[in-house]
This record gives sequence, C-alpha cells and structure tokens, in this order.
Amino acid sequence: MKRLNSITHHYKRFLSGICAAAIMVSCTSDFDEINTNPAALSQLDASQLPFLFSKALSSGTNSQWNYQVSQNLFSDQYAQYFACTASSFGSDRLVINQNWVGAAFNPIYTDVVPQLQTIFEETDPASPEYAIANIWWVFAFHRVTDYWGPIPYSQAGVSGETVPYDAQPAIYDDFFKRLAAADATLKATSATSAYGSYDLIYHGDISKWIKFGNTLRLRLAMRISNVDANRAKTEAEAAVAAGVFTASPDDDALVDRSVNGGDGNGLSIMQWNEFRMTASMESVLKGYNDPRMAEYYMPTKASSDANKEDPANPLEWHGVRNGLTASQMNIASNLPNNNSQQGPRWTPSSLGLAGGVSNPLTTRQNVMATAEAYFLRAEGALKGWNMGGGTAKQYYEDGIKNSFLQWGVGDAAAYTQGTSLPVAPGDALNSPPMTNIPVQWGASQAVQEEQIATQKWIALFPDGYEGWADYRRSHKVKLYPPANSDNPLITDPSTQWLRRIPFLVSETQTNGPAVEAAKSLLGGPDNTQTPLWWDTN
Amino acid sequence: MKKCLPKLIVLLLLCSASAMAQTVTGRVTSGDDGSPLPGVSVIVKSSTIGTTTDAAGRYSINVPDGNAVLVVSFIGFATQEITVGTQTTIDVSLNEDATQLSEVVVTALGVPREAKTLVYATQSVKASELTELRDPNNVLNSLQGKVANVQVNQGSGGPGSGARIVLRGNRSIQGSNNALIVIDGVPINNSTRSIPGSDFGGIQSSDGASNVNPDDIESITVLRGPSAAALYGSQAGNGVLVISTKKGTKDNKVTVNFNSGVTAEKAFQVPDVQNTYGQGIDGALSTTVGDSWGARMDGQSYTNHLGESASYSSQSNNIKDFFRTGVSVNNSIGLQGGGEKVQTYLGYTNNVVKGIVPNNDMVRHNITLRMSSQISKKISTDAKVTYIHQEITGRPRTGEENSPAMDMYQTPRSISLETVKKYSTMNDVGLAIPTAWPATLSSIYQNPYWMIHKTTLDEDRDRLIGFLTATYQINDWLGVTGRANLDKTMDQTRNSNSVGTILWASQPGGYFQKINGDITQQWYDAAIHGDKKLSEDFRLNFRAGGIFQDIYMESDVATANGLNVNNMFALNFATAPSVQTSITQVRTQSVFATASLGWKEALFLEGSFRNEWASTLPSPYDFPYYSIGVSGILSDLFTLPSAISFLKLNANYAEVGNGGQPQLRFQTYQYQQGAGNGFISRSPTQAIPGLKPEVVSSFELGLDARFLEGRLGMTATYYKSNSENQLLQISQPVATGFSTKYVNAGNIQNQGIELILNATPVTNGDFNWDLAFNFGLNRNKVIELLPNNPDQIFYLGGTNARSAVPIIKTGGSYGEMLSYKWQRDENGNYVVNPTSGLPIGTTDLQSVGNFNPKALLGLSNTFTYKGFSLRLLVDGRVGGVIVDGTEMNLAFNGITKATEAHREDGWSLGGVDSEGNPVDVTINAQDFWSAGQSSVSGKRYGVGEFFTYDATNFRVRELSVGYKIPVPSNFFIKSARFSVVARNLAWLYRGSSILDIPGLGTRKLQIDPDMSLGNGNYQGVQYGSLPSTRSIGCNLSLTF
Repeated sequence: MKRLNSITHHYKRFLSGICAAAIMVSCTSDFDEINTNPAALSQLDASQLPFLFSKALSSGTNSQWNYQVSQNLFSDQYAQYFACTASSFGSDRLVINQNWVGAAFNPIYTDVVPQLQTIFEETDPASPEYAIANIWWVFAFHRVTDYWGPIPYSQAGVSGETVPYDAQPAIYDDFFKRLAAADATLKATSATSAYGSYDLIYHGDISKWIKFGNTLRLRLAMRISNVDANRAKTEAEAAVAAGVFTASPDDDALVDRSVNGGDGNGLSIMQWNEFRMTASMESVLKGYNDPRMAEYYMPTKASSDANKEDPANPLEWHGVRNGLTASQMNIASNLPNNNSQQGPRWTPSSLGLAGGVSNPLTTRQNVMATAEAYFLRAEGALKGWNMGGGTAKQYYEDGIKNSFLQWGVGDAAAYTQGTSLPVAPGDALNSPPMTNIPVQWGASQAVQEEQIATQKWIALFPDGYEGWADYRRSHKVKLYPPANSDNPLITDPSTQWLRRIPFLVSETQTNGPAVEAAKSLLGGPDNTQTPLWWDTN
Repeated sequence: MKKCLPKLIVLLLLCSASAMAQTVTGRVTSGDDGSPLPGVSVIVKSSTIGTTTDAAGRYSINVPDGNAVLVVSFIGFATQEITVGTQTTIDVSLNEDATQLSEVVVTALGVPREAKTLVYATQSVKASELTELRDPNNVLNSLQGKVANVQVNQGSGGPGSGARIVLRGNRSIQGSNNALIVIDGVPINNSTRSIPGSDFGGIQSSDGASNVNPDDIESITVLRGPSAAALYGSQAGNGVLVISTKKGTKDNKVTVNFNSGVTAEKAFQVPDVQNTYGQGIDGALSTTVGDSWGARMDGQSYTNHLGESASYSSQSNNIKDFFRTGVSVNNSIGLQGGGEKVQTYLGYTNNVVKGIVPNNDMVRHNITLRMSSQISKKISTDAKVTYIHQEITGRPRTGEENSPAMDMYQTPRSISLETVKKYSTMNDVGLAIPTAWPATLSSIYQNPYWMIHKTTLDEDRDRLIGFLTATYQINDWLGVTGRANLDKTMDQTRNSNSVGTILWASQPGGYFQKINGDITQQWYDAAIHGDKKLSEDFRLNFRAGGIFQDIYMESDVATANGLNVNNMFALNFATAPSVQTSITQVRTQSVFATASLGWKEALFLEGSFRNEWASTLPSPYDFPYYSIGVSGILSDLFTLPSAISFLKLNANYAEVGNGGQPQLRFQTYQYQQGAGNGFISRSPTQAIPGLKPEVVSSFELGLDARFLEGRLGMTATYYKSNSENQLLQISQPVATGFSTKYVNAGNIQNQGIELILNATPVTNGDFNWDLAFNFGLNRNKVIELLPNNPDQIFYLGGTNARSAVPIIKTGGSYGEMLSYKWQRDENGNYVVNPTSGLPIGTTDLQSVGNFNPKALLGLSNTFTYKGFSLRLLVDGRVGGVIVDGTEMNLAFNGITKATEAHREDGWSLGGVDSEGNPVDVTINAQDFWSAGQSSVSGKRYGVGEFFTYDATNFRVRELSVGYKIPVPSNFFIKSARFSVVARNLAWLYRGSSILDIPGLGTRKLQIDPDMSLGNGNYQGVQYGSLPSTRSIGCNLSLTF
C-alpha cells in the first residue's frame, strides 16, 4: 500500500510538473504586442499625415547620396553643369551605370507614391492638402518619365506581380489634368495655409503652390511643344493665365534640408574631388563676365591656396570638358585642384577654400525658380503664344533679372545689354568658345532662340534634370561634345548625344513582363539613343 | 533484495570511508596531455571501497593495508591496477583506450550521455587544444581543421571579430548559417551587431562567441546534425556546439590552476606587389597621381607630394612593415575546491591583445563564480555568474571603405612608410588637417595613418551571464530540474572621425556616433527526467518539460554629423544630434519530451518532440517538430571477427522548425528625423501576415567502428538535409510602392559524408603516436526557390557587384559567385577589341564558381614521449573559388605584382574580334589593367573573372610542442606543463587564378581564403580585408 501511495505521489508530482509547463506556455495573449516594434508606428492617424507630405517632398527631390547617383552622375553631367574628374566613374563618358541610376526611379515609388496615395485616400479631394499633393505627384513623376520615357504610372502603388508601364503621351495628359484640377481646387478654397511647417518648400503658403503648379504646367507644356503644338499652346496659355512665378526670390521653390536626417543638401556632398565646373560653363560665364560664376562654383583650390599666402594672387575659376579619360584627367590643368568645385553655399568653410558656409548640408536645395518661368514665356512669345502680353525680349530680360535676384548678385540691367562673347576656356583640349552669341537680345529668331536657351540653361543651374531635358527638347544650347564616349552606340559625340536612360535592369528582373511590353511604347530599341516622345531632334 | 543491492553498495561505499586506517591520496591525469581527469573511479580491488576523482583529478581513499590494489578506471581509458605498498600518494596517468568507447558527451540541454547510446554523430574537441594556443580574435577560429565538415571563416575586424562557423554546408539564404552555441545547456546570444554585407566593406564587430573564455571550458562537443539538437528547435538547424564549463571539486582541498600564455602574430599573407615602378603614370614619374604606373625606381632624387626631397626607390616592405607584430597575453587563474556539500569554482582571466593594425587593441576581463551544492539528499543546486568586460579600441574597418589595410595597399610603391607617417599638419588656426595624399581615388582613400590616428572605432562590452539550476531527486531514478538563465550584453560603440577625414567627416567639427545596444536573453526551463531500468533488458531514459525564452534587443544610435567644437567627440558638442532607436523582442514558449529506450545496452531507440509557440508567428503561434533515431552496437549483439572490437550503426531523422524573424507580420511606418518636423514613411518591405515557420528536415546514417583492440577507429556518416519554407525577402516591382516582400518558399538540400579516422600506430610504454584524420564533403543543391519564378536570383549580400557577388538560384548551389567575365566566342576564343587589342568583358554577370569548398580535410599527428608531446595539424580545403577584390582594385593603379610585366615592351593578347577574326594588336600593362570603363580591373567595378582564384589550399595549421615538467611529489606545485604552439606556419599548396591570361599566365593565391569580409552570408570575396596571421606562442600551465 505504501508503495502504491508512493507511486501515486510520484505521478501527482509528474502531473503538476506538466501542468506548470502547460501554464507557462499558454500565455500567448501578448505575443502580437511582443512582435510589434514600439519604435515604429503601426497605424497612422490624421495628425500624422503631414509627416508623410514632408517625406514626399524630401525624397521627391533627392538628397545626399541619392542626389549623387540619381542626378549628379547623370543629368548634371549631360546638362554640363559638372564634369567628372574621377576616372573610375564612366557615366561622364556616356556609360549608364544601372545600379546607380535606379536612385532616380526607386525612391519615387517607395518614398513618394505611398505617402501621396495615403494622403489622397485620407483627405477630401476638395481640400488644398489634396491639391498640393497632386501637384507634387506631377513634379516627382515628370522627372522619372523624362529620364526613361514610358514608366509605371497609372497603376503605380497598386499591388501585383507586375505593374504596367504607360506611354509618355498618356502620362503627360494626366499631368496636365492633375495640375489644372489642383489649380481650381486651390483657388476655390478659403484656406490660406496647408500643411503648415510640414511643407518644407512654402511652409504652408497656398498662394505659392498655385504659382508652383502653374509654372510646372508651363514647363511641361513647353516640353511637348515640338510633338503636340496645339496642346502645348493651350496648356501654356492656361498656365500663364492662372498665374506662374513672377518674383524671385519670393516665389522660388527651395526645399528645406537638415543635417541630422540623412536629408542634407545633395549638392553639398560633392566635396570629394569627383566633380568640377565644366568648360562649357567656364566659356559662357567668363565670356559674359557673369557674376553668378562665383555663386555656382568655388575658386580653384590652387588659386585659393596661393591667394591665402599672398592676397595679390587672384582667385581663379576653371572648368574641364566632360568625358575625360583617366590619362586626360591626369593632365595638370585637368586636376581637381586646378578646377572649380560647386559653389560656396554647398561647400563647407572648413575645407579651407576661399568661401563656403558652416553647414552646407542645411542649405536649402533648389527645386524650381522664377527665372525659368520667364524664359518659358519668352520662348512661348516667340512662338506666338499669349504669354501675358509681354514681348519675348521683355521676358528674356526678366528671366535674367530674376536669376540675378535669385542668386543675390545684384542688378542685371547692364548684363542684359552685354555684348561680350563666350571665351575659349583655355583648357587642356584647347576648346574653342562654346558659342558666339552675346547676352544682348539678338536680331534673328535663331539667335534669340539660342539666347533664351543659353540663359535658361545658366539660370536652371544646378537642376541637371531640367537642364538635360530642355537640352534634349530644344537642342539650342551649343554644349561641347563630351571629349570621349565609352558608349558603343555613340561613336561621334559631336553629332550624337544621350537621349534617355535605358530601362532598369532591376525592373527587368522584378517587373519583366511589364518592361517587355513597354519596349513597344518606345518607338525604337531600348537603349540610350531612342529619343523620348517629346524629343523630335 | 536484488533491487536493494545497488543501494546497499552505495551505502557501504559511503560508510566505509570512516572505518579504515591507511589513506592514499593522489591525482589522476590524462597520459595524453597531462590534464586532470575528473570522475575517475578508484576502487580497492575485491572490495566495496571506492571513490571518484574530483574536477582537479584528485582522489583520496582509505585502504585496509599495503597489499591493497587500487583499480583506477575511467571510461575511454585503459584501466590500471596499482599495489599500494607503503605509498601514501599515488599519482596515476591513464592512457586512452579506444576499445571501450564509453565516453560521455554532453548533449542538448546540457545532459551528459554515454556516447555509445546516442543515435547521432558527435565529435569532441579537447579543451586543451583551445587553451594551448588562443586565437586572439575568437576561440572559434581554433576549431579550424579539427572537426569534420566544420568550416570556420575569420571575420576581418581584428581582435574580438565575429567568426563564421558552418557545419555541413550553408542552408539559410537570409538567416544565419552559424552553428548554435550552447553553454551549460542554454543557447547563448551569439549575435553580431555589424557585419559587412558587400565588398564596399563595413565594420565587422564582435559576436557572442568571442566572449567565451577558453579557460572555463571543460569540454566541447560538436553536434553536426539537427537531430542531435532538435530540442533547441529553431536555431538547431545549423548544428550545435555544446560547451560545458568547469565546476568545483568535492575533495575538501583547493586546487589552483594558473595558466599564462603569450602569443605573437604577424601578417601571414599580404598582397603581392611590384617593386620596380614607382608613383606616376604612362611610365613617367608624377606626384599628382596615386598610381604606380611611373618610371623605374632607380633611386632618383625627386620632390615628393609633400614638397620634400626624396629618393624614388623601391619600398618593398612598406606593406609588411605597416602591420605591427601583434602580441596577446593571457593570464588566468582558477580555483576549484569544496566538499561533499558545496563545491566552488572561481576563475579570473585577463586577455590583453595588441592587434596587427597599429592602435587596435583589446583588453578583456572575465570573472566566474560557480557554486554547486548538495543541499539535502534530494535537492542539489548549481549556480554560476560570469561577468565579462571587454574593451576594443581602434577596430579597423574592412573592405574598400577606408579600411587602413586598403588605404595602405593603395600607397604608391615609391613612397616610404616614413613619408606615409607624416599624415597630419597644423592649419593656420591650429587644427590638425590631413597632409597631401596621392590617393588613387581621393573620394575614398586617404592616408592609412590618418585613419589610425584621427579616427576611432571603439567597442566596449559588458556582459553578465548567470544561471541557477535546482534538481529535486524524487527517487533513485526520477528527478525534477528547473533552471533560470539570464544573459545580458551591453555594448557601446563609439566612432569618431576628425575634421578632414574623407568620407566620414563631411560636416564642420567632425563626426561622432555612439551606439548603445543591449541584448537581454531570459531562459527558463523545467523538466522531469528519469533513468529507469524497466526490466533486465530494457532501460528508459527520458526528459519532459517546458522552456521559456525571451530575447529583447534595444539599440540607440546617436549621430552627431558635425560638432560645434572641432574634434570634441561627445554628444554634447553635436551641432544637431540625431537618434535612431530600434527595439526587437522575440519570445518562444515550448513543451518538449525526449526519451531513449535501450535494450541490453546495445540497441537504442530515441525520439524527441517539441511544440513551440513563437511570438513571430500568426495566431495560434505554434508549430511542432520532432526527431527519431535508432542505434545498435553490432559488436555486442553479434559475434564479429576478433579484429573488429566495436561496431555501431545509427540512423536518425529530424524535422526542426524556425519561427522566423520578428516584426514582419505587420506593416509599419518609420519616423525619421529630418528637415521640418521630420518624416514618416512606410516601410518599403511589404509585411507577411501569414508568416510560416521554416523547416529543416534531416536524415543521418552513421557507422562507428574500432579495430585491432581500438588501435584503429573509424566513424563514417552520411547525411542529407532539406531546408524548406525559408523566409525569403524578394524584390517586387517597386512601382507597387514596396521594393521587397517576404515569402516562405524554397528547398535547399545539403548532403554529404564525413569520415573520421583515429589510429594509434605506435604505443609502447613511453612512446605513443596518435593520428587523427577528418574529412568532410558537402554537396548543396537548390532544388526550388520560387516555384513561379525559377529564374529569380537571390543575392547573399549587396547586389552591386564590384568584384563579384555570391548568389543562389534554382538548380544551382548555394554560394555561386557571379561576376563579369572575359567574353569568349562560340569556339571559346577570347574576344578582344580589334582596335585597342584589349579584352572585352561580358555585359552580364556570369558564374565564376562557388565559394564553398568541395571537401575539407584535417590530419593531426600527436607524438608523446614521457613528458613530451608534439602535435602537428595539417588541414586544407579542396575546391571552391575566392575573388580577390583587393587585387582587382590595386591592379588598376599598377600596384600588384602582375602589373609589372610588359610595361616597357608590350605584348599581344591575341584573341578574336566579335566576328571571330583573329586580332593581333600590341598592348602594354597599363592599357591591359586600367584602360577604359570596362577594363580588366575597372578599379572599383571590374571584370571579376580576372581576379578569381581556385581557393584550394593546404597548410600547416598548428604545431605544438609540450613538456610536462616533472615536479617532486611533495612540491607545492602539483603539475606543470609548458607548451609552444605555432599556427599558420606555412602553405603546403595554394590554388591559382582560374584564368591563364595569354602573355601573363596564372598567379598563385595571394590571400588567405579563411579570412572573410564578415561573418554573414556574403562570402567568397575579399576586398581590403585584414591579412590572416601567423602566430607563435608559449603557454605555461601550473596546478597548485
């Protein structure tokens, strides 16, 4: 009996052990909470939507590293605002590194589209917040489509195994519709402010967004002027009538940057010896004795050092040709120290050059400026469009004046009447002057067109996206051909130039059928030489 | 009565102690290496008198008289009989006896089991092999070559670097492939905070294993298959290293072990560089470039880049001299003592390591207290606390991004180390700024001494591990054990970059980052366990219970990109500090049961089952897994030829699961500091609400045989494992708004064989020769990844192939290396540019091999003669490739040895154009290595095939010579042993480059494939990694 008791006793212990274990494991009620990251948000409420808009603005304009690989290494070189002085980057010799250029594509879809779509879903379509988000949607996407042509657009942000590409005419059509609708909504609202301090461009000022939207509409209208002249005229006239940028610097769009969020000014990270002023810019800015040169570029390190030792030594600015080979880069006059890097507002004073600011990462980044609106109107006026009643000459000179205001270089009156011509940059390749036109308004339409394009090209700095797009569209600025091409499709850079970025390899891997279908929308092979829809040159 | 007999014997044994007169004491040691043998049975022949030795190998026994004969026996060793006579101290040295095979191994949950009863493969490593020579970087590195099918890769981060230890091949694509490390029954936190994931490089930080103190280790067992460790579930799919640590002793005496060692190490293999041509380009001296395509160095006088007059002459040793002689000093003292009731172990270890990169040092203190108590007849406890404090300063970065090694390699061949050391100058406001530096790429590379002196990467770690175990012995066969184990790691990393540091200090004042990271692991388990003889023939050993595990990780990354006061590296000087916090928690709860049924101590059936609830999974959160196995000792069951002294067969099957990663089931939004009020953005990775557990199923068949009375032993194992339902992060069209998503998919198979041979060719009294050979081969096959997209490639690291990138894809095998190759036409001719005569690279990435070895081999010979012992370990690998990104980068600038040829004469590669027409154009070395965008080197982005090597290599891994210094029996020192050990002594064989370039030929491997950029899955490429080291050290071990 005792033995039996002992056994029962043992089994009781055994059972209680199992029970203890069972009790221990049954506590799964807080498992979802354990699996939730307390340092992240699981759900958003209305008060958090403005943060999404901040993100869309910040990412839609590219900052820091993204700026370099999306813009600097591509369109900034193709617009000839900068030339590459690091031999291991081939993109200045017209070879597209697909790993880098994805930075102009991917963040728009992952960091702009989801944010804007959430705003579209959660706000009243009649609200100014909705309208401004719509304007920003167009801004973000026009840069993407102007790199690649057909892009995923109408189905962007929709889940699926593939996301189809849209043809560029359809995308532009949607751009115009969105901008027109946004203008109407913003004019109808009684509110004066939207997004407040979360609006990193205008800090909530709706009236500025109205001008921004219409200036963008004017830009896009001009873009299609060679391929759909009627629509271009209609949209351009409507945009001007609705009110575009008129006064720099008040109207100019610049986006706030910060030092602590990885969202610093993109141009400010170019202090590595990789990019320098171009010979094109040197030829024109020096020829015109243009005061913007000292804003756009720094004096060379060599002259800066010499000047420090003896102030009698003058500060000098120099540029190099695009597309140099490694051997050419090693020629003394092409070395980084003997050429000018990006200007003082993007250069830390600690670098020891003559000039700079204490914290260039926080320099507001240029998005779109008033000068461009005037140059667009000048070109429109030349085409006979109703651009508000002024003459092409007026708008041309207003463009220059506003650019001077934008960069704070004083009165442009004398400059606009300048008769000096671009000079030979005195570079290692003995380049001739870039062109032979003065600033002063010319007599022939051909000269006037080139003048508008050239001054617009200068004024657009440092917006390589727009600079390259406008170069492809108008082909009126007589940029130097790149010194060398490693691109097998460009055997003669004096007659050929890059037309587009080929579809991303990453897209063919993840969105293959859509890319395959998109090739038929191109009107040519999927390479760098097939012009976009609006490019008739 | 029969059942009472064992009790009676125990009782008699216990009582007998006080009744006898003459006391004999002594110490039992291993004849192999002189280490003390605990648990040895010492009995008086033909009596019931007996005892066992304590942890220090000591025993004390009372014998009736001088005629008594002591029988000293221990499983795995030959029994000795000694007549007492007049001796009062009898020290015994036991020799291993392979015929017995009653070795005890510590298995899952820390349970000791007799090896012969196991149904799965195990292999043990002697603790002395880890303590004789400490690898200053990580104790795991010392396992290389010693265990079949175990591959160890050293992380390239200097002392304390995380290591990668892979058993039986890689199976996880995005998770870890590292073996689980279990100490005293509980898996340790073996995470690595920072792992370089591409050839751009990064920071390889410490793992958890690098904190393991070899001096505390009593035994280490490798369980290669998951079956052995099914109870650990999730993490056990990669195999387990089971480590048991030292305990106190029961003999009422205090034993003091003192161990002191010093090791010196030098760079073993540095890049092969040319010493003929100096700084310059196009064959001419130039000080404005970093290239070494200059003139012949004939000692010309010239003005160098600093404006100093210098001699343009060869600096053939500047790389070797840059690395200093690393020195590591290790001192440890361990006290063991106690009596029947309480046993105590106290240990203190101090490591001071000077790495081979200047300013890279490590200091580590480790204190351990362990107390084991027999509180009552039925209750026993065991408790231990370990505290580790580790400081690493000046950890070198690895890879291309400003690693001091890469920066040094870039130095033009004519610049002396003395010149390089002039790295800094004062500017006009008294701030130290970098001097001019002829970098080959001024945005990335700078003076290595600037990196060493003006930037810091310091890591402090405090780690506290404690456990408490209590066992209640219900009766003689049934007990209950509960255990609580806490493991807290507190890391602080400080990274500072002075004003002027390229790449890192872009803002005024400099850059400072401080990371505080804490990991807390809680583990509680309770089990009822028993070992019961059910009948004459049947015996049941079982254990059932529950486990609770919770891992909480929190880190705060505080960054000051810009400091208001120059080079003041503390957060209060920050211009605008930003903080990123991340918090992750995983909790698992499980119930388990395992049982082994033995028949006649010769046939065993074993099974285990575990049901796990994991917080990472969707409700109801749980999944089951199990293992089952059988083993039979054929030599006991049947009469075999006398040459076969032991023969065992075993087979097992296991399915273990892994609950996946935390925080993947819900879509989240991140807040990020920035302009305005900061940003909120949606995670670009789509959540996976229906996350499923991963499953590794494995089958293993083993044969264990001993011949010729154990003089020859052999273990052979075949295994196959399939890893399914892996959690894969796959790219999706970014236009969906998500760049990636998770799926559960795939079937990755590993199968292979392992062969272990042990032989004692010679044994006669004083002289003994033991030979141990291990061989492992693994074949990996990716049976399926994504059923609807068989072409999908998974990158095992960065997708941006600078030199090469490891991938897996359906139908291939894990670790295929993709890179650009030299184009061939359909006839296999090399395609060259008809105008320039230079190679044309492929436009797409193609396979150049696989980073995994086809086979791993190790052979160790141990000779003992009286007090002397000599051990020689030779090991190697066959097959696999490694891509030398360092060489690729350096070749662009004319630095590597291969760029020396044909600079002045030129040669033709031959080859054909794209139409197949023969081409004959004369090129020179500079054209070949560095002309054009798609040139051979390409510098940072090149044609990797030219730099791909067969990684096959054999080397003298370890040579140790030991001497057991004789000490008088009544001396205060009880035993003394001195050993000298050397590692990485010499290459026996090195593979060559896979391309035989016309006119240039092949090149021998000039990196050590054991090194890796990091301990993650990004393997097969070296790029600016630290060199491996050759070391020699001596060690003195004293016992008091």
